[in-house]
Amino acid sequence: MNGIIIKAKDLDKNEVFSGGVEYSSPARGKWTIAHLSMLIPHSHQIYIGAICCLRGVALSAAEFNGLDRYSMIHIKDFDMVDTSMEGFVIDGVTDILNHLKSIPPCVLLYTTCIHHFVACDMNLVFRTLRERFPRVDFVDCYMTPTMRKKTAPDDLMRSQLYAALEQKEKKPKQINIIGNCYAKSHDSELYTLLEKNGYTIKDICTCKTYSEYKSMAESFCNIYMLPQAALAAAKLKSRLNQNFIYLPQVYTFDKIEQNLTLLSSSLNLTQSIDTEVLKQNTKTKIEQTKKIIGSTPIAIDYTATNRHVNLARFLLENNFNVFRIYTDVIHPEENDDLEWIKKNFPDTEFSPTIDYRCRFVNSLSKKSSDKKIAIGQKAAYFLNTEHFVNLIEDSELSGFDGICRLCGLLIDAYNNKKDMRNLIQVKAWGCEG
Amino acid sequence: MLKIAVYGKGGIGKSTTVSNMSRALASQGYKVLQIGCDPKADSTANLTGGKRIETILDLIRRKNQNISLDEMITVGDGGVLCVEAGGPTPGLGCAGRGIINALELLEEKKAYEVYKPDVVFYDVLGDVVCGGFSMPMRDGYADKVFVVTSGEAMAIYAAMNIALAIENFKDRGYATLGGIILNRRNVPEEDAKILKLSEDTGAPVVGKLTFSQTVREAEALHKTVIEAFPESDMAKEYIELSKAVLEHTKK
Repeated sequence: MNGIIIKAKDLDKNEVFSGGVEYSSPARGKWTIAHLSMLIPHSHQIYIGAICCLRGVALSAAEFNGLDRYSMIHIKDFDMVDTSMEGFVIDGVTDILNHLKSIPPCVLLYTTCIHHFVACDMNLVFRTLRERFPRVDFVDCYMTPTMRKKTAPDDLMRSQLYAALEQKEKKPKQINIIGNCYAKSHDSELYTLLEKNGYTIKDICTCKTYSEYKSMAESFCNIYMLPQAALAAAKLKSRLNQNFIYLPQVYTFDKIEQNLTLLSSSLNLTQSIDTEVLKQNTKTKIEQTKKIIGSTPIAIDYTATNRHVNLARFLLENNFNVFRIYTDVIHPEENDDLEWIKKNFPDTEFSPTIDYRCRFVNSLSKKSSDKKIAIGQKAAYFLNTEHFVNLIEDSELSGFDGICRLCGLLIDAYNNKKDMRNLIQVKAWGCEG
Repeated sequence: MLKIAVYGKGGIGKSTTVSNMSRALASQGYKVLQIGCDPKADSTANLTGGKRIETILDLIRRKNQNISLDEMITVGDGGVLCVEAGGPTPGLGCAGRGIINALELLEEKKAYEVYKPDVVFYDVLGDVVCGGFSMPMRDGYADKVFVVTSGEAMAIYAAMNIALAIENFKDRGYATLGGIILNRRNVPEEDAKILKLSEDTGAPVVGKLTFSQTVREAEALHKTVIEAFPESDMAKEYIELSKAVLEHTKK
């Protein structure tokens, strides 16, 4: 780690890694565009591209047992010479759909760089496909690394997850949670507060049927928790006139309370929940956890939570021994937490994850003699510890309930080893085709 | 808003014709946007006093995607809004990408909504050699395509290719062939050849331009004929042509 770890006090910008030769660790962590689309119940994904580009997504589909929901159209070089690319796509998709056991309600059509390089007329493609298969919702999706412009693939995919929703009459007591890969715990105060006020909550993560997914269009409002879902919220506002509330997944008490206050005021909630009781219960749980794991060193990585600096601050405030954060960039929303750490725990370490020198940091053959707890798969890999919390994008955690759950996960990680090698190499933990 | 694409063999006089039509329509009170879809990036040169404007591809090279609409559009003579798509370094890259990038970026920046032109001209290079060059024909872009040709064999060949491309796209709801503009080179039996082209393509001849020294003199001044010699017979021909093109576009 020589030369790549920066202490908080020496961090003068929000970049821990500022560019150069990159490394990709075997710890996969987050969901990709191929995994996210599986959240639409009974949807089918079709990729069109060169075979070398399709290899990775085919392997992903096999890994998440989704091959029966995955098809591909392989473009060869001569298809580019004298072929109508539009006709090629239309005929390929038609052939696939006609050969499936049943026509899926939703098809996610992934175009690749070549379509956009030659300006394939996708309006024509989708118009024709919709005429041929009027009962299918076709959603435009993109695997276009070399044609990428402003929108990050992750943000774009999260917005396209809701593209098949169509304008419907709104239900004043139905609200969506959007943009997450995992459903939030039903025991969280978010659910408690909304249900206490008579709201029904819809989340793509809990939709079992396609019609249930489509009913998300009846919600009058969307709650999103990740910045990557901001585009989805904005598009739904523009297209379906659904308002949105941003409630970032945070760990410090004051910010959790701010979220609850914002939720209550935005929706004019008349019923409240006793946050003092929640806070007291959470404090008790934290104390119990601290007694068990003591000063065991803890490291956090960015795949565990977008708010990894906020989580570090929360743990440090509660006397846990957070010694390192693995991240390549710190979101500006975390600036105040970063400043707090700089001031109060200036020796906290920040380590990149994609700097080429990370390749030599650790290997699975080297076992650490000291017990360390990792929160997140990448931290587990870099620390080579089997004591880790398998958390991805906050998983089911939310609010005070989330902290109590995290405490349970920390205790479990402290007491029990996990099969780190086999767990971390699975892409998009929990994705199931 | 009327959207018009003008195609034709390289060097046949498309840019001269389009610039004069743009300037003529601007004189009649129309707000005109002229988009040069040619890597040479000289479509609008006679509207800007011969000064080369920064192309969209050059802007992308210089500023990546952080480009404002104002930077893409230059106001030329008579208030004609001028855009040049630009192209790759000769021998490198893909010329069609210049057009694709320009048209996509103009759309992304809502150029048509912001400037609200009455008439948009797409001045497109030569034959429809690849998908990029067919982009101005597509649904959402030009309503009609006009082909500039002389009676020379290669110009007629290019005109037929363009007509063929339009025919290939007839089921797609793309632009239809609005007509043929004869830009005379005084070759033998020129009118008869163009009449035959008109019959073969089913497109009317919407205007015939005289092979005139006045056009060369105006170009030497880096001006349109309308600007340089507004009382000339050629200026009248361009004014009549611009009216005819609008009429055939509305059909």
